Amino acid sequence: MTWRVATIRESRVETPQAKTLVLDVPDWPGHLAGQHVDIRLTAEDGYQSERSYSIASAPDAAALELTIERIDDGEVSPWLTEEAREGDQFELRGPVGGYFVWKASLSGPVLLVAGGSGLVPLMAMLRHHRATGSQADMRLLLSARTHEDVLYRRELDSSFRDMMYLTLTREEWDGWSRRVDADILREVGPGPEEHPHVYVCGPTAFVEEAARLLVELGHLPAAVHTERFG
Amino acid sequence: MSHHTDGNAIAGLLEERYGTDMTATMRTCQSCGQEWAIGAHRLYRGAGLVLRCPNCRDLAAVIVEKRIERFGIWGEELV
Repeated sequence: MTWRVATIRESRVETPQAKTLVLDVPDWPGHLAGQHVDIRLTAEDGYQSERSYSIASAPDAAALELTIERIDDGEVSPWLTEEAREGDQFELRGPVGGYFVWKASLSGPVLLVAGGSGLVPLMAMLRHHRATGSQADMRLLLSARTHEDVLYRRELDSSFRDMMYLTLTREEWDGWSRRVDADILREVGPGPEEHPHVYVCGPTAFVEEAARLLVELGHLPAAVHTERFG
Repeated sequence: MSHHTDGNAIAGLLEERYGTDMTATMRTCQSCGQEWAIGAHRLYRGAGLVLRCPNCRDLAAVIVEKRIERFGIWGEELV
């Protein structure tokens, strides 16, 4: 596990709160969809801050991409989203994590459940699914506050429209306008009888509630993979 | 409401210590007997890191950092 120096090649605004950084990382060993990296920033006085960020790009992509949501009182995300410019550098290590990963070689249907920016590692899975031409039945249920807050909106519309279900918690529209509940999960499917691999990522309260509902619906706890970001 | 995250958040720290990914490693809780991946365990940050069983919340591990050295005291054996 070595710290490498990452250089920002490009940055893209995703939403008012989130930015995607396209990185050049020498000797990057490659990653699996769902993995993350640790980022370390060092201040002039030597003070260091470390945070984990999910990888948004597919393993098959040409460059490593992270999508960072700004946390106003954070120590790392304000710099990454507001101050960092193309050519800036920071330390990074990884990829890490082996529990919350999906490989195209895994058989069986897949259900992805995202709360807000919990979409990031699931986007790597969707992109990996597309890049490999996987025939697996993959579905995404995304819960966001409003349309404005939906990450990768254009790409989701153009490439994953048929796989995607959206509910908005702070906006009335012609789709679901409520928190994820049992009825929504039942309608999205696949049901427990199809034994899907389930991946749930988002804020802790969102993940706990979605995982509880999924198990109540009959999904095996071991098939429900969870990642909470606080 | 909830002030915890989960074992995925310390994947890098654990890999640094053990030389391999630990988040997919299954651990059997000595209190409730359930088996869960380390990545699914609850992680609490305070004066150190505390990992707890996601079912019964009994203690799984305590990790403290001292200067640049890190060491863990595991409550139970990892399976």
